[in-house]
Amino acid sequence: MKIFKIIKMMVGLSPNCEKVNLFLADYVDGTLDDKTRKDFEEHMDMCKCCRPYLNQYKSTIEMAHECDDVKVPSELVEHTMAFLRRNSDFPRS
Amino acid sequence: MIRGRNKVVHECITRSGGLILPSLEHIAACNTLQIEPTKNQVQDRESGSTPDADANKASADSLDLEALLAGDDKAFEQLVIQESPRLFRVIVRILGDDNEAESILQETYLQAYQRMDTFRRESKFTTWLYAIGINLARASLRKSRRLSSLEDQEVERLQPTFSRGMFVDSPVEWDPGKMAELSERQRLVHRAIDKLPDDYKTIVVLRDIEEYSTDEVAKMLDISSGAVRVRLHRARGALRKLLDSHFRTQRA
Repeated sequence: MKIFKIIKMMVGLSPNCEKVNLFLADYVDGTLDDKTRKDFEEHMDMCKCCRPYLNQYKSTIEMAHECDDVKVPSELVEHTMAFLRRNSDFPRS
Repeated sequence: MIRGRNKVVHECITRSGGLILPSLEHIAACNTLQIEPTKNQVQDRESGSTPDADANKASADSLDLEALLAGDDKAFEQLVIQESPRLFRVIVRILGDDNEAESILQETYLQAYQRMDTFRRESKFTTWLYAIGINLARASLRKSRRLSSLEDQEVERLQPTFSRGMFVDSPVEWDPGKMAELSERQRLVHRAIDKLPDDYKTIVVLRDIEEYSTDEVAKMLDISSGAVRVRLHRARGALRKLLDSHFRTQRA
């Protein structure tokens, strides 16, 4: 069965690693159509290179999301409103 | 208004679907994989609504868009209260400087206040506001020459390479032990994101950190959704490569 899948990939009947790689973002976003997702997952099941790459790709996204550590100054709004009053006709009413 | 070099870039993106042209392999892959419209595109088509129309409804719900556009001071103050923390975070990440980010944030609200009549309801109001802030932040970055360490071509070199469609270098699984320490992990990821060219970094900040939709990011940056997708994918590929040497399991 696995040999059959590999032959399919080699003769271009199913996507190879390079083609699968182009659709990682859409796969992660869950926006691939059913047929493409099935082809993608079939490739992932048999490929020793794409599976770790996909794991790393997902980890990269998760770790980037963790970088949510900017400290917002407590007087940010107050300073902004004061700046508006100084530099414009705010408040108009 | 798009002028000079930005206009050329904008036109290039609009025509090509991406600043970096999608490769022939991408087009071939689309053919092989018989790509259908995404689920979101199908939903939008079936509902007969457009994302922008829906977005403005949501925007009006939380911000009282009509009062805002009519020049209501309270509505504008509410906008400042509601959006400042998130907009500040976006600007800080682009600039890497808290003081400069606060100045840019203030200038953003001033421009929005003075240019309110130029808002055309073609996007969410907050998307329009963020577009002003991001443009000002990027202009400040160029002016101060605090440029990222990588060039666009280097992002290209950080992508995986293939021969006859197969990986040239097999990826090695990352070691969970090396990824376990949060503060060290954050330091490495911060440093990697900061190395990205401005265009790529901004998209990672907006999509992967702040989790705006692809369409919203496209409107904020005045580029196509396709260009956002292509750059985001390449940015993630580059980040993955930059982090790889820190996290990879040693081969036996």
